[in-house]
Amino acid sequence: DPLLQRNKYQNARCILNSGETKNLPGREEQLEELKQFFREHLENKRSGSLYVSGQPGTGKTACLSLLLHSSEFSLSLQRIYINCTSIASIGGVYKKLSSELKLKPQGRAEHDYMASIQYHIQNSKKMLLIVLDEIDQLCNTKQSILYTIFEWPSLPNARLLLVGIANSLDLTERTLTRLSARCDLKPKHMHFPPYTKQQIVNILKSRLEEADVLDIFPPLAIELLAARVSAVSGDVRRALDIGRRVVEMAEQQKKAGDKEMNLQKLTTEAVGNLENLCKDNSVTLKPVQVTHVAAVLNKVYGASQNLHEDIEQSFPLQQKIMLCSLMLMLRNQRNRDITIGRLHEIYRRVCNKRNIHSLDQAEFVGLVDLVQTRGILHIIKKKEPRLSKVQLSWDEEEVTAALCDKQLIASILDDTTCLSK
Amino acid sequence: ATTRIGTPKRSIHMSNVVEELVFDKREILSTPTLKSKKSLIFNKEEEDIEKILQRVTPKKPAEKTPKRGRRSNSNYLKDSETPKTPKTPKTPSQKLKMLRSGELTPSFKEREKIDQSKSTKNILQLARECLHVSAVPLSLPCREKEFENIYTFLEDKIKDQCGGCMYISGVPGTGKTATVTGVIRALQKQVQEEALPTFDYLEINGMRLTEPRQAYVHIYRQLTGKTVTWEHAHTLLEKRFTTTSPRRMTTVLLVDELDILCNRRQDVVYNLLDWPTKTTARLVVITIANTMDLPERLLMSKVTSRLGLTRLTFQPYSHKQLQEIVTTRLSGSEAFKSEAIQLVARKVAAVSGDARRALDICRRATEIADSSKDKEICVNLLHVQQALSEMIASAKVQAIKNCSRLEQILLQAIAAEVARTGIEETFFMGVYAQLENIAHYSGGVLIPTIGQVLRLCSKLGAQRLIICEHSRNDIFQKILLNVSMDDIHYALKVTSDATT
Repeated sequence: DPLLQRNKYQNARCILNSGETKNLPGREEQLEELKQFFREHLENKRSGSLYVSGQPGTGKTACLSLLLHSSEFSLSLQRIYINCTSIASIGGVYKKLSSELKLKPQGRAEHDYMASIQYHIQNSKKMLLIVLDEIDQLCNTKQSILYTIFEWPSLPNARLLLVGIANSLDLTERTLTRLSARCDLKPKHMHFPPYTKQQIVNILKSRLEEADVLDIFPPLAIELLAARVSAVSGDVRRALDIGRRVVEMAEQQKKAGDKEMNLQKLTTEAVGNLENLCKDNSVTLKPVQVTHVAAVLNKVYGASQNLHEDIEQSFPLQQKIMLCSLMLMLRNQRNRDITIGRLHEIYRRVCNKRNIHSLDQAEFVGLVDLVQTRGILHIIKKKEPRLSKVQLSWDEEEVTAALCDKQLIASILDDTTCLSK
Repeated sequence: ATTRIGTPKRSIHMSNVVEELVFDKREILSTPTLKSKKSLIFNKEEEDIEKILQRVTPKKPAEKTPKRGRRSNSNYLKDSETPKTPKTPKTPSQKLKMLRSGELTPSFKEREKIDQSKSTKNILQLARECLHVSAVPLSLPCREKEFENIYTFLEDKIKDQCGGCMYISGVPGTGKTATVTGVIRALQKQVQEEALPTFDYLEINGMRLTEPRQAYVHIYRQLTGKTVTWEHAHTLLEKRFTTTSPRRMTTVLLVDELDILCNRRQDVVYNLLDWPTKTTARLVVITIANTMDLPERLLMSKVTSRLGLTRLTFQPYSHKQLQEIVTTRLSGSEAFKSEAIQLVARKVAAVSGDARRALDICRRATEIADSSKDKEICVNLLHVQQALSEMIASAKVQAIKNCSRLEQILLQAIAAEVARTGIEETFFMGVYAQLENIAHYSGGVLIPTIGQVLRLCSKLGAQRLIICEHSRNDIFQKILLNVSMDDIHYALKVTSDATT
């Protein structure tokens, strides 16, 4: 059995994937509310619409796909799930819907599909549940399609439950203002709040318990992780990602440790002890340490600060000088509109003073572009490259920390004579 | 003489009239029938396509698709074992059909002459071959850490049989794509030794697509060898990745130039990153782009959330690393002096850290050394210096030096006007006034008319020495210098010194 040979790190890594799951701790309330909504409408044979909103990674799709696959509603409901990003164009949603419903429209125009869907809604025996995921993709200037779809539940004899999922809290109020004029048209709104710290802790714990590897994550580590993620976004995908990274990190460290151990043992002892070694490996698995979690969290959330470790050895010199000249200009000039041509002029003077060969303007534009990929700068493109504007998008302190060359920076920033000529 | 000119004209005119008449007649006579025929044919074709589509997409996808997939796979294998010569297409449409179904493989015409053998080449030629950018070495020097990182990620994903995403960023020429393909090669070797379960490898490049949605077509073609429309490819891929099948292999998808795939709707990127989250897909997506903060800057939050946090940044090469790269490429050949390599490495590392650039300069240096006809066959510092000055040279000073006298005066006048007003943007009027002054002082130069100066302006504008508007604005057109003032002074001063 391959699963037995795998160690706990691997199992933990596997179980922390951000795929679909069956149990959703932390979303019991919402699930119950959704079920209640469905049940109510099923009993009364009344149609209704629902709009589900929430930040990415708060489990909206997971909840609804759980209900779509549950046996409770399978008999009494015909269920359709459509992800609106997978349709060709906005109008293509009708075609997709009718093909999901296995309808045979008269023609192949958009309105033919729409007519056939409406006919089906009004004449079907079963209740129909349509879930439209990422419904904000259907927005256009007139919102004609969203209006048409949200008007379906109020068609005479319609028995339709419509659920729209999107990220923004006020999509229905903002873009579908006309719906609020009629109370029966207005969809019920349900918000999925970002996960709290305790909820993330529960999710991680339940996942780890599923694979029986709870012991490799000490509670303190989980708490730290959950506190940080819930404070920033409450996105459970993030939390799972970080958890996985932590396990990967611990695993790599263990591998490195094993290699050293093996080498030591091989050098000191005879070859016969290999079996012992294998046993050792399977028995002792250190739990993840808090330092691991802190390291990963810092790497993820402290983006610009800890990039420096990597940057310091390999920040090309000309890029450094360019950044310094930009800072020099920003510091000493009141006018913050800096074009590439102006920056190039100052940069050349700075280079000349330091006896460094300066780049041509054509090369310089490429150089500025390279620095932009690091996110330090932002270039506002204009018709001519010389007229494009350069903006510093990092703090000056961050840049000085990133450059790791205090002498150069200090000498250039003192050199205000380069500016005036 | 007049009659001679006149007759052919008339005849041409007549023929034109005749042609027009004939053309009109035919059109009048046949348009309705032609049109109806055309539309009929079109409808027929569409119906055919529809029929084919219906045949290809069966109504019960869960049962039939995996079977078909396996069969097509086995067919494909058989074909590769016994390469049958496909029957030659007789009509263009038949050929197109065969191309789309993947029965015909596109081939190049082979060369009649046999390539030069290796023994006849000298050291420099051999070195040039080694230094070519396309000759990617089997193991990339100085990228061991990144290799290890990607390798463990992919190996874990393949072993765990689950999906995931990774985002790799770095400036151009830092070995991103080469490292990833190297990792894939190593993994495929592992698969051959049966240390790892088999996996599919697909790759797309955003720059090779005419449109982001063509990505679906390319992916589907790599999976099955067939070319279909993007809509069809998308539905088939969706079906493949969202339905369960017991024998599903892990698929590794490399997406190069991710930023090109982002449009306003970002549906393609969303789909590519959403499929890995499905447990049935077993898809591992590796995305490559230049920008470090692309997910935060360009992508929607829901796409960023799916992209995850497994990220890797390739830093630009330092001069030591560049030196090592070049020396490992040359591998013991004595075509280069070590200080020559060092100079190249330092010059490139100071600007961009782009390995392609370093290799290009080295290759240029070998060419220069080859043509210099020195006795010793070796690239020394002078050759490298020349290559560097060619490739990192500014041609602007030379261009100013080679301008005509009046153009030079015009450039001087613009510079003077900028200095006078203190604003970079100058108007033609002011420039012309300055030009008159300079022409007076320099003596012996006739003051040109405004029309002449406008012509000079547009000429310099075409050379991109200045940026100017269309000359229809006449004396009110705006003129901007595209070279720095120092360049103008430097170029003109040096020339005037040389002439005197």
